[in-house]
Amino acid sequence: MTNSPLAASTRGLTRVYGQGDTAVHALRGIDLDLPAGRFTAIMGRSGSGKSTLMHCLAGLDSPTAGSVSVAGRALESMDDNALTIFRREHLGFVFQSFNLLPMLTAGQNILLPLELAGRRVDAAARARYDLVVGVLGIGDRLGHRPGELSGGQQQRVAIARALVSEPDIVFADEPTGNLDSEAAAEVLGFLRRSVRELGSTVVMVTHEDSAAAYADDVVVIADGLVA
Amino acid sequence: MRTVLRASLRTHTRRYVSAALAVVIGVTFIVVTSLLSSAARAGLVAGVEQQYRGADVVITEVDARDAARIVADATDTGDAAAVIGWTPQQVRVDGRLFDPRAGVGGIAEDPGLRWQELREGRFPEQPGEVVADRNAVKGKDVHVGDTVEVGTLEGTVVGLVDTPSASAGADFYLLWDDLRAVDEDLWVDSVAYAGPGSASLDLPRGATVQPRDEFVEELQAELTNEVNVLAILLLVFASIALFVSALVIANTFSILFAQRARDFALLRCVGATRRQVLRSVRVEALALGAAASLLGLAFGTALGYLLVALATSALPSGSMGVPTPSPRWYAGAFVTGLLVTLVAAWLPTRRVVRVGPLAALRPDDSTSVHTGAGRLRVLAGLATVLLGAVLLALSIQGNSPGLMVLGGAAAFTGVLLLGPVIVPALIRVAGGLGGRVAGAPARLAAENAVRNPRRTAATTASLLVGVTLTTAVLVALASSRSAVDRDLDRDHPIDVALTATDEPLPSDLLDRVRAVPGVGTAVALDGVSARVEGAGELPAVTPGEVGAVVHGSPAIATPGPREIWLPSDDVSRSRVTVQVGERSVELRVSSGESWGDAAIVAPETLAALTDATQPWAVWVRADDADPEDLAGDLDALAQPAGANLTNGLRERSWVTLQLDILTGTVVALLGIAVVIALIGIGNTLGLSVLERRREHALLRALGLTRRQLRATLAAEAVLLSVVATVLGSVIGVTFAWVSLQALVEAAVDQAPLVLPWGQLVLVVLVAGVAGLLSSLLPARRAARTTPATGLSLD
Repeated sequence: MTNSPLAASTRGLTRVYGQGDTAVHALRGIDLDLPAGRFTAIMGRSGSGKSTLMHCLAGLDSPTAGSVSVAGRALESMDDNALTIFRREHLGFVFQSFNLLPMLTAGQNILLPLELAGRRVDAAARARYDLVVGVLGIGDRLGHRPGELSGGQQQRVAIARALVSEPDIVFADEPTGNLDSEAAAEVLGFLRRSVRELGSTVVMVTHEDSAAAYADDVVVIADGLVA
Repeated sequence: MRTVLRASLRTHTRRYVSAALAVVIGVTFIVVTSLLSSAARAGLVAGVEQQYRGADVVITEVDARDAARIVADATDTGDAAAVIGWTPQQVRVDGRLFDPRAGVGGIAEDPGLRWQELREGRFPEQPGEVVADRNAVKGKDVHVGDTVEVGTLEGTVVGLVDTPSASAGADFYLLWDDLRAVDEDLWVDSVAYAGPGSASLDLPRGATVQPRDEFVEELQAELTNEVNVLAILLLVFASIALFVSALVIANTFSILFAQRARDFALLRCVGATRRQVLRSVRVEALALGAAASLLGLAFGTALGYLLVALATSALPSGSMGVPTPSPRWYAGAFVTGLLVTLVAAWLPTRRVVRVGPLAALRPDDSTSVHTGAGRLRVLAGLATVLLGAVLLALSIQGNSPGLMVLGGAAAFTGVLLLGPVIVPALIRVAGGLGGRVAGAPARLAAENAVRNPRRTAATTASLLVGVTLTTAVLVALASSRSAVDRDLDRDHPIDVALTATDEPLPSDLLDRVRAVPGVGTAVALDGVSARVEGAGELPAVTPGEVGAVVHGSPAIATPGPREIWLPSDDVSRSRVTVQVGERSVELRVSSGESWGDAAIVAPETLAALTDATQPWAVWVRADDADPEDLAGDLDALAQPAGANLTNGLRERSWVTLQLDILTGTVVALLGIAVVIALIGIGNTLGLSVLERRREHALLRALGLTRRQLRATLAAEAVLLSVVATVLGSVIGVTFAWVSLQALVEAAVDQAPLVLPWGQLVLVVLVAGVAGLLSSLLPARRAARTTPATGLSLD
């Protein structure tokens, strides 16, 4: 979809919460280039600003200063509506917890981004769905609701949902934070497979070295700056 | 626990707003009822003694003849007597028709017994002098010095007066002799008598004499009683509103406590006993009830005084007095509000203490709580519906209102019990339809609306109550309207009849009548002036092609060959001889009074009586016209032709207006319950939004636009309200049908069910729009959450 070798980049990215004495400088001017077709881990301790960085990259939060460009588009020029549509067309998300809507089945959750965009599930989309579901090994779980799935299965459904619309980047925010080591290894393996086998770009935020070890590149954030 | 209680009141106040609002409205309703009825009572009672101020005794249970004798006797002995009586008369002012049926009352000659208050001109002294009520003639171009015709009396307006009493007001007042001359048999309410002769009155049998104070007291008590009956009727609607409030409050508490289950569990973990937790939440409910009831008292007082002020400026003077806040009503309203809150909170608070301490340690799953209908509940629901149906069937068979109310209550309770099964099923169907049109938001909305069936059912229950009652009333009134219409067709088959008196009508009158705006069809009736035995000289007419003019198919349109229809007043025998010149026939008498002062005979009878027929009457079918305007226009034509007007349209539109007012009032009063229910829907939605913040954030992250999110919530509210409304309409129509079968069928032989489709569709539309409105605030709040902040919540 984009010819740029960069999936995303930031220049002077700054994010300040609050004002005056109580202001918190979460990001203090980050310059970062994220290459396409790779699995990048953003690492840092709690409060380092790594989650804020991801939120700004993904258009979930708007920076105080600086620029963010994702898939060749400058995010700061978009209003909320344009950002939302950009997200559903170009980005995929996997969160630490609460990834799935409780009242929908796993299958419905996976197809949700397509439905929100008002897209018909055509043959191509159906093929992609089957491929993703096959890669993640959740074919026998599609009729279950999230409450009936284990934590690892829920995360796999979330990854499937993130991949189904063929996004330019998949953002994963501590995707293994709530999982035991075995399930975590499985999920990270799937993320890496999706980069290798499906050609996706994955950006993962984590504080665990073991998780970062699965990534192709690692960016470390400390005190709102790239370390 | 006090710290916890205070903190939780502080934190959760905003979430209680809707529940509080429901109580506030209910209590306001009661207080307004009390103030309005006290003002109406004061207004009705206030002027009453005015009429008897100068009297020593009051004589009642007398007719006009007795009253005349009492007045004559009083004049002989030097005492004073004033008749309080009333007669409807056609009144013209300066040759214009003022009112074909104006209220005409008496004014005493003796200044001590005169109760009207002079505003302009002077009181009547001579025969033929008339005073008019200032408010009745306001804006109608009536002035002192105008000539006035009251019935047969010709006179002059010499003054304008105010009437202090709403219960005895008339439009025009005449001196007794004039009044008696206008109508010998006027209706006499009472005679006020002043003078020493009052001790030894020579009265007809059956008349009652009472000292003035005693009489006034009794009258006031009677009027108070009438107002009290009205107040009780209003309270019935107030209790419906309060019942709906209770449903809303119970639902609010259920939702809030479900959301706070983890807080309660944590409290239990750190050592709070069950009893402590229970007491803490009950005190919360108590505080809410007390605060809301107090607010209700304040609002009710303000609104009550405002309404009385509005009524005073809009209605004739004296109909509304000064409202008196009654401590008993206020206490009652406060206690009711408090009790409703406590009772409504009882079950939800009991559920709170079932939460074990361990619940705090489990992950928060309040959004995935799936409350369903237990098997017991479904069985109980089915059994109650069945019982209700059997009772309703029995009530139809036995025409028993008691069984009907019982059966209706049972069936409705059953439906409420089955709500968690029925309502979600209906929402799925409606949501499926909506999803095809509105896409993802509608489908999400349907899923959201049914994810918690018991909550959904409880939310819709309140609206169901209001809508069921409203539609039942609308359908029942529409159906009885058809029965009333039949009666009207029978009693007033002709809208307006112009009947000649001494001479036949001019031949061009028919064309001029047809040219009057508002006249649909008009036909002339041929006839002849005939001498009817026992009734004197009377036009005898025969109805020709009157089918298009009369309502229904009345007997007078097709008189039998040996039959004569005479005005009821003229009938004293069953057979009469009718004579025209030399010819005469003997006819069988039927009587009625819907066509004016004429005899109706068959064409062959008329042919037997005369060879030369002329138009003697014109019958008019109105075309959606204002009865007074039409009567005025037609009278202007009839008057120079020497014809009299019989106005059936007036009665017809009066009855229709009464039914419209009744329908409007009942619907407006039930509307309060519906408003509370809609607040409840907004409330449930608002609370759901709070617990779905993370879901909404997730959806926004995944690409749901703000507009789509708002649409989702709006669709959920509309689904809830429309499904409740449609279900309520179906139940309401059923109830109306049963009540027609059980009650009305017993009174009249046929009472077909009439569905006012326009009104029913309107109810559903209004509910849909109101549902949409109720979603506005929650939807705004939900859309404000940015995806990032929503996701970082825990």
